[in-house]
Amino acid sequence: MSHSETHAEGTNYLNCQKGIWSWMTTLDHKRIALMYLFTLTFFFFVGGLSALVVRTELFAAGAQFLTPKQYNNFFTIHGVVMVFLFIVPGIPAIMGNFLLPLMIGAKDVAFPRLNLLSYYIYIIGAVMALISLVPINTLPFISQGFSDWLVNTAGLGGPVDTGWTFYAPYSLAKSGTQSAVIWMTGAAFVLGFSSILTGLNFIVTVHKLRAPGMTWGRLPVFVWATYATAIIQTLATPVVGISLLLVIMERVFGVGIFDPTLGGDPILYSHLFWFYSHPVVYIMVLPAFGVIGEIIPVFSRKPIFGYKMVCGATFGIALIGFVVWAHHMFTSIGDTAAYVFSFLTFFVAVPTAVKVFNWVSTMYKGSISFNTPMLYAMSFVFLFMIAGTTGIYLATLAVDVFYHDTYFVVAHFHYTMQGGAVIGLIAALHFWFPKMTGKMYNETISKLTFVLVMIGFNLTFLPQFVLGMKGMPRRYFDYTGLEHFDLLQTLHATSTVGAYINALGYFLALINLLYFFWFGKTKAPANPFNSLSLEWQTQSPPIHENFAETPIVTDWTYGYGTKKDA
Amino acid sequence: MFRYLPEQASKHAADVDWIHNLITDLSVLFTVLIVGAMLYFAWKYRKRNGVDHETPQIEGSHTLEIIWTVVPTIICIIIAYYGIIYYHDIRKVDPNAMTINVTGQKWFWEFEYENGKKTTSEFVIPVDEPVRLLMQSKDVMHSFFIPSMRVKRDVIPGSYTYLTFTPIKTGKYQAYCTEYCGDSHYAMLANLKVVSRAEFDAWVEDKGKIITDPAKRGALVYKAKGCNTCHSLDGSRIIGPTFSKLFGSEREFADGTKAVADEVYLRNSIYNPNSQIVKTYSPGLMPVFEGQIKEEEMLDVIAYIKTLDGSQPVVEVEEEEVVVDPASMTPEQRGELLYKNNACIGCHSLDGSKVVGPSFQGLYGRQGEFEAGGTYTADEAYIKESILESNKNIVKGYAPAMPAYQFKDEEIADITAYIKSIK
Repeated sequence: MSHSETHAEGTNYLNCQKGIWSWMTTLDHKRIALMYLFTLTFFFFVGGLSALVVRTELFAAGAQFLTPKQYNNFFTIHGVVMVFLFIVPGIPAIMGNFLLPLMIGAKDVAFPRLNLLSYYIYIIGAVMALISLVPINTLPFISQGFSDWLVNTAGLGGPVDTGWTFYAPYSLAKSGTQSAVIWMTGAAFVLGFSSILTGLNFIVTVHKLRAPGMTWGRLPVFVWATYATAIIQTLATPVVGISLLLVIMERVFGVGIFDPTLGGDPILYSHLFWFYSHPVVYIMVLPAFGVIGEIIPVFSRKPIFGYKMVCGATFGIALIGFVVWAHHMFTSIGDTAAYVFSFLTFFVAVPTAVKVFNWVSTMYKGSISFNTPMLYAMSFVFLFMIAGTTGIYLATLAVDVFYHDTYFVVAHFHYTMQGGAVIGLIAALHFWFPKMTGKMYNETISKLTFVLVMIGFNLTFLPQFVLGMKGMPRRYFDYTGLEHFDLLQTLHATSTVGAYINALGYFLALINLLYFFWFGKTKAPANPFNSLSLEWQTQSPPIHENFAETPIVTDWTYGYGTKKDA
Repeated sequence: MFRYLPEQASKHAADVDWIHNLITDLSVLFTVLIVGAMLYFAWKYRKRNGVDHETPQIEGSHTLEIIWTVVPTIICIIIAYYGIIYYHDIRKVDPNAMTINVTGQKWFWEFEYENGKKTTSEFVIPVDEPVRLLMQSKDVMHSFFIPSMRVKRDVIPGSYTYLTFTPIKTGKYQAYCTEYCGDSHYAMLANLKVVSRAEFDAWVEDKGKIITDPAKRGALVYKAKGCNTCHSLDGSRIIGPTFSKLFGSEREFADGTKAVADEVYLRNSIYNPNSQIVKTYSPGLMPVFEGQIKEEEMLDVIAYIKTLDGSQPVVEVEEEEVVVDPASMTPEQRGELLYKNNACIGCHSLDGSKVVGPSFQGLYGRQGEFEAGGTYTADEAYIKESILESNKNIVKGYAPAMPAYQFKDEEIADITAYIKSIK
């Protein structure tokens, strides 16, 4: 299918134009993907460092080096940065942008200019979020009067300490550092627009720009996953936009919506918040499912098992994801509502289980090689089993009464978000590294960092399940004097050690990839892993418009099997 | 495997733990099977000698897809069913349940019993009897969680929520706030004591000893209103300024003005905390205590803060000492308070010994002679006259040394009741 290797030897999307300006004004989806990659990596480390601060404080009982207020600031920064600035844009903005047009044989996304605009809207949102995290009144170089004006009039008295959920009425207090909530919610509102526009762009791209012969039934599973994600982005994000706007109205104009002292209802806020923030979980994790669905067939030399079920399950999860939001609120909603939302929540488990079964079955009778992406994909199956089964506890009404807002929940969603979304992204970055950079990464170093990440991650979060079983509530600055204190202390210390190993693993993985990007000697061939999907049929890295000539698709993407007698 | 849940101290805990443990066993089983299959395939079908072998083009299996869709669905429905049934039990209120009103506030819990008894950060319930906690919040969302009882419910401003359970074991348990509520969220704890019915009756009827030392009463208010969460006694900084050496010190405020911490300043800081924020502290953290701390309690708190000047040891209060409202006391208790507060003890003993005046022990109903002649019987009228017109009739053997006291009739009745009780 490919002739491009001989066609444009030497030029590619990375070197076809030079200079920072050519990057800042680029309309090339691949360059925009890389810009997202570097920006998001920065925020991943900001969020990661604040997590280390939190874990260090919890290493031993009693105050270590923070005040309670600072502790609350740091877990808020961790949550806000990781959720809104890293994981939500995460795989769609980086891998979706890079791969979607390549995988369907298109030159770019449907609206390249809108794509660049999405990036800059993201940057504006990110800057607003950062502003609300700055402790203005402690800055030495600002005069007292100006600092008072910034805090009292401009609402810049950060850092915010509400947690990433901004629950009312706590987030509505106008005094103190909560005044910066307005900037933070404003940031989330702006970031939402970036997400909606990216989603729209992807939907139109998949509908309109598929290469000849690339029928819906031949689309790679990653495209299906990104497409489903884009639908959620477009439908759910406006709701959080509305609710954050209502918070701003309430704070600025005193309109009573959520604040009980103004006649509002704080539970209404929780409903609106989770109506978005639950589907957003699937924005984070569905693309990771897509990545795993691409990697396992390539390294097993087998077609993805149950293609239609895998893609159908993706849509099943996306749809059910819209009607289960109130399972975050079992301890505050009415009993009948709790029954309904609990029952519905269980139906997320079914399509998720179907996916896991299909991934494992794909390996049956394969020819399996253990490159780093495959190791990450296999570890993903293990981590997601833990994430999924611990989700069953939380869906079970009588059991959630015990676990709600304990460390069990913290451990559970880190297994989905980090074990799912982050591991999925790291797997993707290794797998498509040759395509994105035109270089090969070093397998040995990559496997070493993989081992560090696995040990660190599980050491951090397995003890937190036990903390939750002992009733330890989350967001506690100190655990001195709580029931089972000795055990809590041991588990917290272990978890902190794990967090440091985990961080080291990610840091080395990043250094490794960056090093081989810039200094790597081994040039990547067009298709180092012998994949059949379209992005590998053009040169590495691809030329500016992806394909020298529009590819014509004649087969399903997953024809890896060659043996006649199955 | 993985049986780490805490002690089962409520009637429904065993049911919750049963479904919990069933999920654990099924989870372990499925994880072992699936990950086991994956590792087995990985080993069995590994690429050998660096060369790919031919693989079959297996695209799926309808039978398998149906099995692994239907089986998890059935398991999920069963678990969901039990989760809902047991939840229904958890929420069902027994009509005989005793109600305790619970108020959450940054950052402490208050409890009020049906007979008006109030406690802070600690509550006591009788074993084997259903209890209902009717909860409300005075500020932001909180959540009340008792791990050993397997109950949790959000506490929401502007509405009531409830928790109900039946404790099955006596003992001490903890309750936590589990909805993030700000700086001292982690310190918003409460102790629960489950005791026998007899112990509970004695506890709930005991409305506390009478405390005459204002500083000591202030120390109780300090503890009961949760001031200790934010204001230390040893000079360390928690959330707000320390109380150590506070009285009489010079305070500098955020706007640069200064003031001396006298009684007026302290009262204002407690009733209207945001009007004067000391430099480097944040406004908006301290709740407004107007209407929560009464004027007489305020004087006690100020008296307490005055003692914290470093010249004397910090006033300690015992665990069972509770400040009570005089209106809820018995006449004898009020009489005792008057006896102590008016220094009657200086002249009238309680043990029969002669000090300056006659002892109160066995006084009521006593008969005797006056110095000026004539006899008396110590009844209500005699006691009243002896207090209001103390030197009119002097009992034989005593000097006319007692000042006249202008007590009200109710107070005299209380003192009489107290004297009657000293036999």
